[in-house]
Amino acid sequence: MTTKLNYHPDKAMLVEFSAGTLETAPSICISAHLHFCEACRTELLSLNEIGAQLMSEATPVPVDDAALESALDAVMAVIDQPQRVETAVKDQPNKSGFPFSISKLIANAESTLTWKRLTSSVDIAQFKTGQKAFEVALHKICAGGKTPKHDHNGVEYTVVLKGSFSDERAVYKEGDFLMRQPGDVHQPMGAQNGECICLSALAAPIKLSNPLGFLMRPWLRINPM
Amino acid sequence: MFLKKEEIVDKQTEKNSRVAVLNLAGKRSDQWSLMLVSVGENRDRQAFAQLFKHFAPLLKSFAQASRHEGWFPGLSEDLVQEVMIKVWQKAAGYNPEKASATTWIYTVARNCRIDMLRRKSNTQHLPLENEDFWHEPDEETPVTLLRQKRSEEKVQASLAQLPKEQDEILRKVYLEGKSHAEASNELGLPLGTVKSRVRLALQKMQILVAPEFQDELLNDH
Ligand SMILES: [Zn+2]
Repeated sequence: MTTKLNYHPDKAMLVEFSAGTLETAPSICISAHLHFCEACRTELLSLNEIGAQLMSEATPVPVDDAALESALDAVMAVIDQPQRVETAVKDQPNKSGFPFSISKLIANAESTLTWKRLTSSVDIAQFKTGQKAFEVALHKICAGGKTPKHDHNGVEYTVVLKGSFSDERAVYKEGDFLMRQPGDVHQPMGAQNGECICLSALAAPIKLSNPLGFLMRPWLRINPM
Repeated sequence: MFLKKEEIVDKQTEKNSRVAVLNLAGKRSDQWSLMLVSVGENRDRQAFAQLFKHFAPLLKSFAQASRHEGWFPGLSEDLVQEVMIKVWQKAAGYNPEKASATTWIYTVARNCRIDMLRRKSNTQHLPLENEDFWHEPDEETPVTLLRQKRSEEKVQASLAQLPKEQDEILRKVYLEGKSHAEASNELGLPLGTVKSRVRLALQKMQILVAPEFQDELLNDH
């Protein structure tokens, strides 16, 4: 497991994550990054401390003793009920080596998560995440595979889950977290030494800058479920 | 990990409960954290009742601070109840080296608040709960209590010293549950300004500790 990573989420984004105000899809991407990044995990312990401090400094809502006792009784009554069985996925060992949230999405999609061929070198599998703002998917780039050169109409978050890929700027390895803004044109390429699997959350369709782009139409599909 | 009753109800220590104290064994020894450990290890109902009485009013005010779309005051009692039930159920997983009881309970409350909202505004099955995003990998983050304690002290001491405009945004985000974009709309500020105020606040609290971030700090100035 890598701990020294080069590409992390922006600090302001970690704050939103710690406050619980970040949307579901980018939160999934952060959680995937945290699986690999000890630095951000440690930082979040401190960020949570801000929330805790603000919460504990707030003037407590005055509750009279009787109301407090009856609220406590209500909680104890629930606690004393026979325990519900926790969802099985939590107890299963995580064999995939993927981040927990991703393993859970895969387990949830067992019958429906299907890889579809986008190009000769890229496959995609979309997740059902219960939200519509982003398309959340896994991309698999074969060793040395080229992806279509593309721009982004909306923000795109990418986390490398396995292997590595590169573009014109750099090489990205397991755990690296990338954000691409509209106007960032790039052409990712899979590493020569093995396939690369990335998690991506895409806010809007991306457009190809290749004139033959229309052939790659499925790459553009945004069809959040 | 048993507490004497006198310790539990001692009003003097209650006052200082936010300041976790290191005892000789290097353990976290603020009373709430000890009680939470006891709930986890011994299913200690008395300690749980004490925690309830301290945290329920705080959780209620945290619930009422919410300005999320779709949140209404009637949800506050549900939130308090749901959080405290989770506290009981999950106490065994509480690690006092990583967080004080207050911080741990805050994270439970944050997760519950988000999940309640997502369930309310969504008819679809949601495959993930907010706590799933916080699942630790098998190799856990190695934290030393001392380091964690220092960071808590810095946050506690410096949060009160923040300039009003930074404090205002942190409150909007953490208590009201606003995104930076929503805060920027409400305050009539560019998004970039909101984010840079957040970063400045973190810097003041010395939260950017990882060596990777040192460059970024320098670049900001
Ligand atoms: Zn990181």
